[in-house]
Amino acid sequence: MSLAWTRRPERGSTALVALMAWLTLRLGEGLGRALLVPISLYFLATGGPARAASRAYLARVLGRAPRLADLFRHIHAFAAVQFDRLLFAAGRAGRFRLDCEGVEYLQRLVEARRGALLLGAHLGSFEALRLLATRACPVPVKALMHRPPPGPLTAWLARRDPAFAAAVIEVGRPGSMLAVAETIAAGGFVGVLADRAPRPERMVRVPFLGAPAAFPAGPMALAAALGAPVLLCRAVRIGRAHYALRFEPFADPLVLPRAERAAALAAAVARYAAWLEAACRAHPFSWFNFFDVWDNDAATAPPAAAHPGHPSAGHPSLGADPPGVRGGVVAGGAGLDA
Amino acid sequence: MGAESTQTRQGTAAHDAAALARLVVETLHLEIAPEEIDPDAPLFGGELGLDSIDALELALAISRTYGLELRADDERNGEIFASLTALSAFIAEQVAT
Repeated sequence: MSLAWTRRPERGSTALVALMAWLTLRLGEGLGRALLVPISLYFLATGGPARAASRAYLARVLGRAPRLADLFRHIHAFAAVQFDRLLFAAGRAGRFRLDCEGVEYLQRLVEARRGALLLGAHLGSFEALRLLATRACPVPVKALMHRPPPGPLTAWLARRDPAFAAAVIEVGRPGSMLAVAETIAAGGFVGVLADRAPRPERMVRVPFLGAPAAFPAGPMALAAALGAPVLLCRAVRIGRAHYALRFEPFADPLVLPRAERAAALAAAVARYAAWLEAACRAHPFSWFNFFDVWDNDAATAPPAAAHPGHPSAGHPSLGADPPGVRGGVVAGGAGLDA
Repeated sequence: MGAESTQTRQGTAAHDAAALARLVVETLHLEIAPEEIDPDAPLFGGELGLDSIDALELALAISRTYGLELRADDERNGEIFASLTALSAFIAEQVAT
């Protein structure tokens, strides 16, 4: 199910992450990078549901039954991006090369002092996007995210790089969405990963790689409520210390007319999915969702029954989203923690 | 005099609660009549089924209508949005000051 990730913890032990970090920082990146191979093999051998989802996705995007080598490549690409997160946090971001396309869209907004919503995906690295922000962006950039119980890597990164934690607007708190509105009103950019729902919410099924897949409606509803410009963005790892960033306009603003709101919302989600599909076809091993978005149960099962123990009960706050008919909070995604 | 001003304020709050109910229904395109909203029932996470994006739309509409600012870092946000009554009291307090 595409919502299962909310219950699936980030894998890897604290000791392993600490060991990787120590080896890399003391003995060199070459060793750390070499270790990604056995680590990826380990996760290939043990990662049941994630491996099944990887297989389902690769079969669609490659148009053939994926081989073991494809599954390994997918996991290894994910590990390499995670490894880069470690290097960013260790202060070694300086020599990363960022090829940028479409930065002029951002520049125009900055010059006009207009904030914007940036829609991304679990494609490549959200943190490489943030790297651009720290290098060249004069306005605040924040990420709207669901914060799961932090995994070992995320916890380690948060200790090393407190600025990152400060740039996160956490989903599900009273005032989360107001914080998004305030950041954008002040001319800042807020990024959202819109290919996965952080919790049970209204999903929209739209064509994706040849079959209907469930995507959250929340990001589009948020975009429409904000009335701000919306851009699509991605940062794909294309080589060692090398990322390709791309920004594209999506809507300015996104309007969901009252009379045909549901249809307009579905059309916006479909347009987003088409963008994601094109990106996946261009970089098939860089979509790190690892959850089966084509699973029918995710969208058709009654939310309350499908997600017992949803913590929203007894939490009557701005951020409490009932798994009800109109339930829906914006998707965040936890960086790239799968 | 003290009693009188309290009474006036209560009167204003009662008036505002009805206007606020209309604002909620209009802003969020709810398919119920404003009077049908239980003023003491939870706005979010309850029977109305409102979510955090509805809350944002409502906050923006309140800012426009009443000329006051709801801030993300206000620790009372949970309380303020607890019910129509609570929201109405908050607005009355902000408008008065």
